[in-house]
Amino acid sequence: MNLGYELFDHTADIGIRVTAATVEGLVAPAAAGLYAVIGDLVPVGEPRPVAYDLSGHDRAELLRDWLAELLLLFDGDRRVIRDPVVEEFSAERLAVRAESLALDPARTRCEREVKAVTYHGLELIRTPGGWTATFIVDI
Amino acid sequence: MSENRGYRGPLERIDACRWRIPRDYQPGMRVDGIIYASDALIETVRGDLSPEQVANVACLPGIVGASLAMPDIHWGYGFCIGGVAATDPDEGGVISPGGVGYDINCGVRLIRTHLSRAEAAPRLPGLVEALFRHIPCGVGKGGRIRFRREELRRIAAEGAPFVVRRGLGWESDITMTEADGCLRDARPDFVSDRAYDRGADQCGTLGSGNHFIEVQVVDEIYDEAAARAFGLRLDDIAVMIHSGSRGLGYQVCEDTLKELRDAPRKYGIDLPDRQLVCAPIRSPEGERYLGAMRAAANYAWANRQIMTHLVRETFAAVFGAPAERLGLTLVYDVAHNIAKLEEHVVDGRRRTLCIHRKGATRAFPAGHPELPDAYRAVGQPVLVPGDMGRCSYVLVGRAAALEQTFGSTCHGAGRLLSRGAAIRAAKGRSIHRELLDRGVIAKAQARTGLDEEQPDAYKDVTEVVGVLEQAGITARVARLRPLGVIKG
Repeated sequence: MNLGYELFDHTADIGIRVTAATVEGLVAPAAAGLYAVIGDLVPVGEPRPVAYDLSGHDRAELLRDWLAELLLLFDGDRRVIRDPVVEEFSAERLAVRAESLALDPARTRCEREVKAVTYHGLELIRTPGGWTATFIVDI
Repeated sequence: MSENRGYRGPLERIDACRWRIPRDYQPGMRVDGIIYASDALIETVRGDLSPEQVANVACLPGIVGASLAMPDIHWGYGFCIGGVAATDPDEGGVISPGGVGYDINCGVRLIRTHLSRAEAAPRLPGLVEALFRHIPCGVGKGGRIRFRREELRRIAAEGAPFVVRRGLGWESDITMTEADGCLRDARPDFVSDRAYDRGADQCGTLGSGNHFIEVQVVDEIYDEAAARAFGLRLDDIAVMIHSGSRGLGYQVCEDTLKELRDAPRKYGIDLPDRQLVCAPIRSPEGERYLGAMRAAANYAWANRQIMTHLVRETFAAVFGAPAERLGLTLVYDVAHNIAKLEEHVVDGRRRTLCIHRKGATRAFPAGHPELPDAYRAVGQPVLVPGDMGRCSYVLVGRAAALEQTFGSTCHGAGRLLSRGAAIRAAKGRSIHRELLDRGVIAKAQARTGLDEEQPDAYKDVTEVVGVLEQAGITARVARLRPLGVIKG
């Protein structure tokens, strides 16, 4: 099954490589890849709308910044997002709407603490088949 | 640099323990890179791109001497793990959060006991189980002791002494902690609300990854005088704690890396890797990071202090005697992810330098004024965890550390296998059972925890500390064998 992301080895940490036909299409599998590193996260309860509006001057950094927001949401509030809708993804702006849900403590199984989404090896490039983004997360 | 192609650049032998990356290897290198390794270890070093990172660090403005790496070097982000770099504030020297890492003041402490292995053995399974239940560990586990925001700010300002004054430790714990468990000039007001939110319920928690609590036995003494000074006796039980500044520290680093994005352009600094982002120490950005980093370091010392209190409570409950009577005394606590302003003599001149230690441990020799009175005659205890199957070491700082490495040595065995490779290597095996066969009871919250952290995932720590002993940087005092391991 094509999940849109794959995990790869990095000595003490873990890499996430995301592929999509469009640059906007990178956003959802990037989140899925981050959550896959953390563990088996099972949402529960009523969804809440959540919106992110990030500005910068580099798409790779903007996508990284968004993943850092998701990490903070997970670490601080014990929530995850689903069904992200990308409103804009340019070099200057990443705007995403989504729903956030709490985690079911009975069924959620955390495997790894992700300290951060690093800048090391950070890449977002156009390929003949679409787009690829690469991140390394600090474990 | 996302995938490992191995290092193809130069590594020139200096002597039996040191290898040079000459400054002409890469444009922008201001000093040589020097890697400490044996002939065997240098082959594993070539296997990843960590030497490239040593060369990158050599490009930092104001770097003094050389960009150094200890034998537990492995591929990190920005700096390699095992990296040491000194920068001079008076010569435009920079401070780089990548030279400290996300886990600010990740470090190790060792608690000795009066219990012999024979006395502890019958209750060891119960002790390990009780530690696992009593000390919060694993992803998202909140602490047993909650602090209000104002109290967190005081922890960030005052470090371990704040929680000791709250009854979570002994006065002697403070003396036996690097910097007395508190970096002065910390700026809790430079720590963001997000960082306080992320660390709100984590002070007194172990975390996950390579963090651990081990019940160990002293099974070899190499230096009787130093061991006596450190209170270590053959066959006695000890407890080692490895953890850091938890979510608060991670967020301080995250916040700073964002804030510093434009600093290299502003200050005309050309960097080969954006994870090395930095600012002059004497700049508003540099001072802001120093203040916030010190606050996170103080939180980390409080974190390990609270876990010490929980260890004492657990031992008292399991052995039915007060911790004082069981002799649960702190031998030392030392950071291995930190940047500090320290005085060093370089080319005969005393200078205040910013020493970045990223996966490297301070190792001051006998006579250094920063050592506690009890250790001044022998030198600083250096705590070097190995892996959960083999052993860990207590070392002591030697004179060459100040001459060669800005008073620094290794911080552990150093990772050999990636997490993925370790999981693949564990397929069809029970690491838990293999550890039991070695006499180690292991408890982990995560299914993959023991597989990813299995002994084979690490270099042989004995070889690592041997290199630094041969170089005269540190010397072995005692070896500690694991008996019980708690993982997140």
